[in-house]
Amino acid sequence: MDTAMLYALRDPLGVPAHPVIFLVLAVLTWALHIAAVHVLLGSSALAIRGAFSAQDHWRRLADAMVNTAKVAVSVAIVIGVAPLLFVQVIYDPFWYTSNVLSAWWVIAFIFILIVATLALFIFYAMNYEIRHKKVRAPSAMIIAIIGFLVVGFIMHALSVQTLEPDQWREWYAPNGVIDASGRSIHAFDPWRFGFFILLSFPVIGIWLFGYRRYLQGAGESDAGYLDFLQRLGTRLGAVGGVISLILLTLWMRGLPEDISDFATGIWPIAAAAALIVAVAYPVLLGKRLDRGMWGYTPVLVATVAMIVVATMREAVRWVTLFGVHGYNPLDYKIAMDWYSTGLFFLTFGVLGGTIVAYLLTIAWQAGQTEGTYTPSRAVNLLGTAGVVLLLLWIAQYFGFGLWTAYK
Amino acid sequence: MDLIGLFPTWYEPLIGSGWVIGLIATIHVLFSHTAVGAAILFAVLAYIGVRDDRPELIDFIKKYGLFLLVFSYILGSITGPGIWYSTTVGSPRGISALIHNFVWKWATEWVFFVIEVIGVYMMVYMAGKLDRRTYMKVAIIFGLTSYTTMLAIVGILSFMMMPGRPEQWFAEGGYLYGFYGPNTFAQLAIRTAFMFTMTAVVGGIVAAGLKDAAFKQWLLRRLAIVGGLSAIVGMSLYPWYLGTLPGIAHLVMENRLPDYFTPSILIVLGAMLAYFALTFIRPKIVTATLAGFATLAILVLGLWPGETVRESVRKPYIAGQYLYSNQVIGHDVPGMGVKSEIPALQKAGFTQAHIFWPESQREITRENAPEVGRSLALTACSNCHSLSDTGIRPLKNYFPKQADIEGIKTYLLGALSTGNTMYMPQIPLKEAEAEALAVYIASLNDPDAVSRYRAESQTAQLDHRSDEEDK
Repeated sequence: MDTAMLYALRDPLGVPAHPVIFLVLAVLTWALHIAAVHVLLGSSALAIRGAFSAQDHWRRLADAMVNTAKVAVSVAIVIGVAPLLFVQVIYDPFWYTSNVLSAWWVIAFIFILIVATLALFIFYAMNYEIRHKKVRAPSAMIIAIIGFLVVGFIMHALSVQTLEPDQWREWYAPNGVIDASGRSIHAFDPWRFGFFILLSFPVIGIWLFGYRRYLQGAGESDAGYLDFLQRLGTRLGAVGGVISLILLTLWMRGLPEDISDFATGIWPIAAAAALIVAVAYPVLLGKRLDRGMWGYTPVLVATVAMIVVATMREAVRWVTLFGVHGYNPLDYKIAMDWYSTGLFFLTFGVLGGTIVAYLLTIAWQAGQTEGTYTPSRAVNLLGTAGVVLLLLWIAQYFGFGLWTAYK
Repeated sequence: MDLIGLFPTWYEPLIGSGWVIGLIATIHVLFSHTAVGAAILFAVLAYIGVRDDRPELIDFIKKYGLFLLVFSYILGSITGPGIWYSTTVGSPRGISALIHNFVWKWATEWVFFVIEVIGVYMMVYMAGKLDRRTYMKVAIIFGLTSYTTMLAIVGILSFMMMPGRPEQWFAEGGYLYGFYGPNTFAQLAIRTAFMFTMTAVVGGIVAAGLKDAAFKQWLLRRLAIVGGLSAIVGMSLYPWYLGTLPGIAHLVMENRLPDYFTPSILIVLGAMLAYFALTFIRPKIVTATLAGFATLAILVLGLWPGETVRESVRKPYIAGQYLYSNQVIGHDVPGMGVKSEIPALQKAGFTQAHIFWPESQREITRENAPEVGRSLALTACSNCHSLSDTGIRPLKNYFPKQADIEGIKTYLLGALSTGNTMYMPQIPLKEAEAEALAVYIASLNDPDAVSRYRAESQTAQLDHRSDEEDK
């Protein structure tokens, strides 16, 4: 598959803004998506571990982690839509080919994810107040975790396949006969997959620090539970961090020969350093964890670390597709469309920012309030601004729409 | 050599890739429309609950919300990208056309999704925790946001049929002319109406389980009114929608839809109205099973035919009236700098222009003709015609059992290659390609056709001279 062929697979419509915007958005949103996936996997694992424990702290943690997993699955799915969208915009030749060649698995992804998610909700529904009751239907949670791992593996394989355009024609027509069944997974990298999956342990470890701080804010009286969370978070961060670094090293060592120099370049070192900082940071904070808002900062540091890891992942794609195969996503034809570009950024930054800030603020404050929660005047105003912005959005939709449709 | 950016083909022999897409899309429509409708219903109920100090309404929202959280938001949010996935593998250039035209609209819709998901959790888990005014404000945000997701998607769905303003879009391109047109608003009106119908039916599943008999009756009667009225409004909007369709769509409807289609749709509507009338008069009889059955009936008898029609009437195009269902760009779009690929195919043929064509099949011989024919059928036909006995519009059914290779080839070259078959894309074939495809098609009805073809020495035209002459 030469460079001209890859370029011929691009959509002739071009892209409605500079491709670098889509590249940046793809990396950022993927980082948030994979972080949510890590929280989902980590909280699911802790939930099932705690569900079988006789210790009260573990059982209480299981209760909290089931609720976390339930929300995390929704967040992971909804945020995952964005990188899925942006990758198709500038990497369409690669994404579509890889998907079609494993089409059966792409379709299976949908149904496996549905089964896994329903299983998670079944476990949740069957284990209301798990802290004080014997665990019911643990197999549902195990099915959910297995399902999430399988769909993760499918996504992983689809991504790896995009990096091997030289193999595509042979995969599509082995021995010169087209195999249109899409039933095969053609390529995967166990170290890469293992790295991204087992990152769940350090990530959930760091997440526990945020959870601990939240409980402190709500006036938690069980100091033993807070200590338990701190110890567990530290242990998960340390052990999970070491395992992740080993897997990262193995992944880098196994890179194809034509990009093997990447393994000793800046990006793997930056990713490893970011991970080390993220897991060491709460330990370094020491007693400051209990002061002010410091307790939440490990989550922020970990988010930055995930963005660095996501950037490294993108760099692997870049050196492979541009460095080896000559495909430059940044020279995609631009068919600039100012209206839709502007509308997105206004919606994202102004409308979305206002409303999400409002909803999360009241959710957070309500969670830390005994009894009925009444927001402050400033928070109320934020909500009112959100409603007004939504009405303005709808008004511009019909304004531009009717004018365009009937002028 | 002009290369054409065709991707590999995925072919599902049992039901066909088209039906896989249709199945997932139909399920998603049920989930998503219900979600949007329910969100608006929540907003209204929360308003009444706060205004009239009726805590049982808030309790209902909480109960329905949990059901809705799983039924609509979880399954809806999976089957939504699921449509992307299924169209990616079934029609990669079709989804690419939509993505590259409307990426920002989808990204904007994504912002609303994020708000919606936070909103539904808050509606369910913050009921009773937030003061009533704040809860009402969250409900209003949730309701408005849900509806904006429909506003964002409907123009994209409309573009699948045709650009909003076709002439302007073809000439000037741009998002606005692609997204907005009379069809966009007609479709929006109909979808909005049926959204409430579906909400009323699905809402019955939860309402059936309410313990408070008086409240159950109050709610079911209102759901019946909303459902019945919206069904009537939706159907009365249908002529407006039809009036916005292009001429080719009317031709397809007149000639291709089965005779039973219109009566069956009317029967479905009648049955729905009867259901709502019954639940209005005798709300007590509504059980979760009955409401579940009604939901299933809407899915199978209402949504599936509706989505099938929408799929059928845009043929031979898959998007924007320029991209054929077999993934070939059939028309220039000067406004977007898009060139038709028909001339390149006329010049070089699929075997030379298709990037993924197997090297061993680029040269067509009598020996490999059946295999080349199969590759051509996969590439040019299988999006709309199953190559097996089952699935969507089996190819073999469109040719008489006794049709010989020469006859089929004559049709392929005379009518199909020149674009003179109604509802079908123009599929330019080189003579050798037409012969190869004819051999394959003949073999679908007559397995011995291949061996007879190979045994013949004179009749077939397949040799390189014919190819050279074409050039």
